[in-house]
Amino acid sequence: MNAIEIRGLSKSFGPKQAVCGLDMTVPMGAIYGFIGENGSGKSTTQKMICGLIPTSGGSIKLSGKDHTDPDVRADIGVLIEAPGCFPNLTVWDNMMLQAANLRLSNAEEAVVKVLKTVRMEGAAGNKYKNCSLGMKQRVGIAMALLGEPTLLILDEPLNGLDADGMRIMREVFTDIIKDGKRSILVSSHLLGELQKVATHYGIIRHGKMICQMTADELDANCRTYVALQTEDMNRSKMLLGCKYSRVEEDEAGYIRVYDLTTPEEIVTYLYDNGICVTEIQTDKIGLEEYYIDLMKGGR
Amino acid sequence: MKISFGQRLSSMLKVDFRRMFKSRLFYILLACALLMPILMTVMMAMMDGSVSVDPQTGVESVMHGPENTWQNIGTLPGGEAMGGMDVFSMCNINMIFMIAAVFICLFISDDFRSGYAKNLFTVRAKKGDYVISKTLSGVLCGALMLILYFVGAVLGGSIAGLSFDLHGLTAANLVMCMLAKIFLMPVFISIFVLVSVAAKQKAWLSICGSLGGGMLLFMMVSMITPLGSTMLNVILCLAGGILFALGLGIASKAVLNKSSLV
Repeated sequence: MNAIEIRGLSKSFGPKQAVCGLDMTVPMGAIYGFIGENGSGKSTTQKMICGLIPTSGGSIKLSGKDHTDPDVRADIGVLIEAPGCFPNLTVWDNMMLQAANLRLSNAEEAVVKVLKTVRMEGAAGNKYKNCSLGMKQRVGIAMALLGEPTLLILDEPLNGLDADGMRIMREVFTDIIKDGKRSILVSSHLLGELQKVATHYGIIRHGKMICQMTADELDANCRTYVALQTEDMNRSKMLLGCKYSRVEEDEAGYIRVYDLTTPEEIVTYLYDNGICVTEIQTDKIGLEEYYIDLMKGGR
Repeated sequence: MKISFGQRLSSMLKVDFRRMFKSRLFYILLACALLMPILMTVMMAMMDGSVSVDPQTGVESVMHGPENTWQNIGTLPGGEAMGGMDVFSMCNINMIFMIAAVFICLFISDDFRSGYAKNLFTVRAKKGDYVISKTLSGVLCGALMLILYFVGAVLGGSIAGLSFDLHGLTAANLVMCMLAKIFLMPVFISIFVLVSVAAKQKAWLSICGSLGGGMLLFMMVSMITPLGSTMLNVILCLAGGILFALGLGIASKAVLNKSSLV
């Protein structure tokens, strides 16, 4: 059984089609990285899953049941756009309100536990409005974790988090799916961070799912490249550009030659043209570059 | 595990009451409800008999202060013939019905503005629970304000040394009048809830809409709940309150179901 199964989902706001015929499958026990450009329909899809906006068509099933089923909905933790907290109440009071909403019998204990998880136990007495952006984000995540939901839906949860915060979130995410019974749907533009934890990916564009894959499939799909530096970079780039189909210079000042099996071929070719290679290595592109490639239509 | 309607409602009410009793606005409105009649009664009593002259026409007019404490609650028998229109015929306990609009509108718009509604509606699929809970919270707040206004009116009357004579009415009539007003509160609250859930985070829109909607029924309050109210008035108000709350509650639920909650 899948945690989320979406078929033919669509949503239009007047004449604007925000999501059109979206299919998506989030397996149980997965950390599903939901990726897309701004305005591609990620948040709209997540809001529809949470029942916050009505759908225009299609079906959403959560753990095999319709997404409007109250029993299923009671088991979702959510952080969409911003944590829903009252600014004049303390972090603790806001958490206790959500605990009451979730009808938690051991509310205080549960709140203390999640605040500890996100390292916010020391700020429980602070008024929410006095919290920094990162602290607010942590409170939002803590709120989503309350009641140990089987499905977490997080929209840009890493925004505003410092390095330690991101590390904590990675630990929390991997800990949640450890038993294989809980799943996370997370959207983020921080693809490097997402790649460290995600087990599955879905890439959405103009409201349509253009690709879904596992982390292993992504790894297999990612292009290999040879990065090199030479004594004469301009001439090398020109020569390599004539021989190979895709040659680029990266931000670090290396020339990248894609889809090659061995670096020796390049070294020999440049040597034959009187250029000495000073540094060379093979590597694979990451999720970020794969995504950019895909958006450019390179793959 | 199936959760019963009672369990759902009680936990939702618990949250709303907790929020309400922690809200500064709630206490400000209660304080207003208590102080308003005291200040109005005392000030009007102090100005009783003062003469003002129109500088252009030279016409003198005499200010008439309140003569009886219960003028704050309603018009006494024969009051219409005696005094005609005075400040208390408009500014009396019935103002609370409109002040309650401010509380409900800000209370609901806060849910949407803060994003709390997202958290709530994700885990709570039943929009009806939300509407019922907000209506009950609003009725409780309105009822408390009515009671405090009554207390304020009695205090104001005592301070200003006004008469407590009921002009042939009995204390039971007074109790019935207050009960009728309390039971009439759901009529207004359900209008305010409907406007507020439609306006969502736009508090200004919900306040304007609620005051406009409430104004349509406001003039009827003094007729339905006169100072000489009987059990019939109470039953009438109770029936009206239940019917309005049910009808408009269903409409509010439909608005929530059909519109975006963020």
